[in-house]
Amino acid sequence: MSLLEIDSVTKRFGGLTAVSRFSLGVGAGEIVGLIGPNGAGKTTVFHLLSGFHAPTEGAIRFKGVSVIGAKPHEICRRGLARTFQIVQPFVNLTALENVMVGAFNRTDDVAAARKRALEVLEFVGLGARRDALARELTLPDRKRLEMARGLATQPELLLLDEVMSGLNPTEIEAIIGLIRRIHTQGVSLLIIEHVMRAIMALSQRIVVLHHGEKIAEGAPAEVARDAKVVEAYLGEES
Amino acid sequence: MAAEALGGLALGVLLVAPPFLPPYFLEILISVMLFGYLGAAWNILGGYAGQFSFGHAAYFGIGAYTSTLLFLRLGVTPWLGMLAGGALAALFGLFAGYLSFRYGLRGPYFSLVTLAFAEMLRVVAVNTKAVGSSIGLVIPSREAAPVNFIFAGKLPYYYVILAMALGAVWITRLVARSKLGYSLLAIRENEDAAEAAGVDALGMKLRAMALSSFLTALGGSFYAQYFAYIDPTITFGPSVSIQGLLQAIVGGAGTVLGPLIGAFVLTPVSELSRAAIRGRAGVDVMLYGLALILVISFLPQGIMGWARKGRGHPARVPLIRRRR
Amino acid sequence: MYGLVAFGLSLIFGVLRIINFAHGAVMMLAMYATYWLFTLLKVDPYVSIVLTGPAFFLLGMLIQRVVIEPNRFAAEHNQLLLTLGLALFLENLALVLWQGDFRTVRPPYAGASFVLGEALVEVPRLVACGGAIVMAVVLFAFLKATDVGKAIRALAEEPEGAMLMGINVARIRAVAYGIGAGAVAVAGALVTPFFYVAPDVGESFNIMAFVVVVLGGMGNFVGALLGGFIVGLAESLGATLLPGSLKQLVVFALFILVLLFRPAGLFGGGRGR
Repeated sequence: MSLLEIDSVTKRFGGLTAVSRFSLGVGAGEIVGLIGPNGAGKTTVFHLLSGFHAPTEGAIRFKGVSVIGAKPHEICRRGLARTFQIVQPFVNLTALENVMVGAFNRTDDVAAARKRALEVLEFVGLGARRDALARELTLPDRKRLEMARGLATQPELLLLDEVMSGLNPTEIEAIIGLIRRIHTQGVSLLIIEHVMRAIMALSQRIVVLHHGEKIAEGAPAEVARDAKVVEAYLGEES
Repeated sequence: MAAEALGGLALGVLLVAPPFLPPYFLEILISVMLFGYLGAAWNILGGYAGQFSFGHAAYFGIGAYTSTLLFLRLGVTPWLGMLAGGALAALFGLFAGYLSFRYGLRGPYFSLVTLAFAEMLRVVAVNTKAVGSSIGLVIPSREAAPVNFIFAGKLPYYYVILAMALGAVWITRLVARSKLGYSLLAIRENEDAAEAAGVDALGMKLRAMALSSFLTALGGSFYAQYFAYIDPTITFGPSVSIQGLLQAIVGGAGTVLGPLIGAFVLTPVSELSRAAIRGRAGVDVMLYGLALILVISFLPQGIMGWARKGRGHPARVPLIRRRR
Repeated sequence: MYGLVAFGLSLIFGVLRIINFAHGAVMMLAMYATYWLFTLLKVDPYVSIVLTGPAFFLLGMLIQRVVIEPNRFAAEHNQLLLTLGLALFLENLALVLWQGDFRTVRPPYAGASFVLGEALVEVPRLVACGGAIVMAVVLFAFLKATDVGKAIRALAEEPEGAMLMGINVARIRAVAYGIGAGAVAVAGALVTPFFYVAPDVGESFNIMAFVVVVLGGMGNFVGALLGGFIVGLAESLGATLLPGSLKQLVVFALFILVLLFRPAGLFGGGRGR
């Protein structure tokens, strides 16, 4: 059984069809990349998966159970965590407190949450900044913080939404390393990304979305050569 | 640590000094404690959860009327009546809160709705003979009857409200250090992100609302017993709502001691102004308005926030957010 | 009547994105101004509009510049508190200066009325209603036709775009607040012949104005005017059904319902949640 099954999902906003008959499966232990030109509907898919929107048609099952109608925090509890395209830290809380909020997903005890949060902060490389206010963190650190907060909820599947945007090449390398480490911890990943180098390097499988429809799926090398994909990107900044 | 010693000293003074104070000062102190208490109750929902209620008078009024009616009509001691009032207020709070939160009311819209609810209760009270309409209710007997929450002098009332205020502060501290506290802060900062991180926003907000309304109602009952007279305007009117939030904002919303500090600062100011410009009602509220404007403009984190910053602590809960 | 008051409120919200609690207080001040002009200088309330309208427009701009503008970047609820503080300050300033007694403005035609069919129509109320409609039309035309008006609308709809177009945002914001204040001042003057003047007068109008604005859609100027009619109707309806001041309940209930189910207002175009 796949970890995540998206079954012919369509999402319409009034007259606009953001996602059209999209199907995707993610198995346990996989890293799947989701790419496509701007406005293709990728973040909408994430909203649908995490419970912020409900699909107009189609089904979504996580660990065999439908997530349609479930509230975001319930979905998180079931083991699906996400980050946001524009980072959303709790700016007036410290890094540690930010991550603790995620850790509380699994425990009611403050000390336990604190311990878990500290571990996760170390893991993502923010251990030294744990008492800094989130508003004082640099952009790369905020991205790490967001990932840490998601990791603290002990997800089985982590949705990463353009974590590389705004980062320079060195920082990108570092995040690629971090994502690999997350993967070795047993977390499956579905990644939206525009930085081609990163997504090619990380993904075992890539899915391409264009105008809300899946136009290609396969190993990175195949997809890169696919004529439809190339055409979709021509004329768009990628 | 200097802060702890100072706190201990202050506490000591609060406990020991009052019997030796002239009645006027005792009255002021009681007011300080009451407003600080109301501020602390409001703070749980407003400062920590970030839901600014402008209609907390609703709960204050429910508390005051419930305990008073139970006492006058059924002879139930206000000590118990208080609890009944609190429970009733909590229920109303849950009702109003559920309606508001379930339908996604946030920020100013939430504030307006709470105001509307309080006003509705006021109008109902004014038009209901059974609760005394605009004439209000009087608690007749002034003979000491401690079992019925009636004391001869002011001193016992002081100790009661002192206990309540300290209790409220202590409860705030407990909440702040619990999962609920962290969740509320997360909700205040960014509700969507909090949800995505597994925080049950609706459930947490309702919890805060229930606690806040329960405590506020107890304050209403105290008021009724201390002043022995209540009417719809006093209890359900906007002034009560404003008093509560004022202490918290000026002292520092989202901090444990903020509301109490706010009360200590604001009440003497209002008293002094009233004494200085005798015979003219409204000077004190005018100064409240000015204080609010000044605090928001220059000290948005309130006094506690500013004090913390000065000591190099990261400011706990600044209310300013730069729009990016 | 409510429509005019609400119009100003909606304008202020649309452009400045703040809910102006001080609106009622400004109206109250205008009513006092009208009162003093009438009592001391024997100026007819309707005539005094020529004076009070522009004066309060300027006052509004001043308030905006001094109090509100510096806090532009504060969190939403903080700005709300700011206007609340302003309202408290102004209302109680009036209380301190002029005390709480009711006063009335009684020009000679105050009691004039005539019979229209089955109803008794009071002249002052009719004039107020007519005046409100006239003001509404004038303001509407102003927004549509003049440069400043267009600038205001642009700012309301697309703040960043407006800045890029070279519109002096700060000045327009002040102007918008000023217009709001001026409108409410006119409303105040129109109302004095049949309403009492006291420091707390602002409050009752305030709440009603909020209800109207939400009903019509925050920032939807026309909606505000239409909303005013609806609220007035609802209140009258309530008055026939329920005794005493309970009629307000009808309005409040309507308010809460709209906030819950159609926060964008009945006519849409509002900001919603």
